[in-house]
Amino acid sequence: MSEALRNIKTRRVVREMSGEAVEREQIEAILEAARWAPSGGNLRPNRYIVIEDEETRRLLRLVAPGMFQRAPVLILICTNWQVVAQHHLPAQDRALLIDIGTAAQTMMLAAHALGLASGPVTSYSKEAVRVILNLPAHYSPEMFICIGHKAETARPGMRAWQPITWRDLTHWERFAT
Amino acid sequence: MQPNWVLKEDEAIELLALLITSARIQMDEPAHYGPLRLLTATERLSSLIEARSSQKSRGFLQDNIERIPEMHMLMSDVEAYTEGLDALCRAVAECLLRHSALENES
Repeated sequence: MSEALRNIKTRRVVREMSGEAVEREQIEAILEAARWAPSGGNLRPNRYIVIEDEETRRLLRLVAPGMFQRAPVLILICTNWQVVAQHHLPAQDRALLIDIGTAAQTMMLAAHALGLASGPVTSYSKEAVRVILNLPAHYSPEMFICIGHKAETARPGMRAWQPITWRDLTHWERFAT
Repeated sequence: MQPNWVLKEDEAIELLALLITSARIQMDEPAHYGPLRLLTATERLSSLIEARSSQKSRGFLQDNIERIPEMHMLMSDVEAYTEGLDALCRAVAECLLRHSALENES
């Protein structure tokens, strides 16, 4: 199996992280990977905000009930609505959501390749995050990626709702009439 | 007599933030996330008060609340998850009894 495929199959969402720091070079490598994520029309409406400051991370956790991690690094994926308007994209264009997903997955795979743990968080108050980070009005906070090191005592991840293989997710060719 | 505070003002505000933001995000999330958010708040409150709690409560907090993160992993197993919640309800009822006059009457 190729290294890339092994990386894809062994990545897991990690919700318990140690306090061990993440090197600046590693953060930059993750951001560099995100720059190469697919983007609809290559428009790149996403912007990334890196939060390392301890008190800011603490406050963000308090308004993010879905953030179980105590990650040393948070990367917030934002949509820059000035870019969206500049290219006359409708606000409900699904490509905007797809771009967030491709950036997120690319960052998490990059983190895993670097030996780091990661986990996405979407359960937070956008308005509270906006206030804490003093976000410009044309930025909307879309998804946090928590980056750190997996805690030695970390429990296994959430069980699958049902056993699943790629075959369960796939249909070949046309559906029968 | 000094009140026996178990929560500082900053800690109470932290808990308020969790409860308020949970209420908001629940509007966008599946209904079964509701118990998850309430248990997260329970866990947070427990972690804040455990060190200053009385002997009557400490056993409950240490033995039961610390198991909550494991319960989150069971969400896909509705039966096991419900069973875990029932066990927690029984434990909190026993804790309430320890704090009430009823316990001393029996």
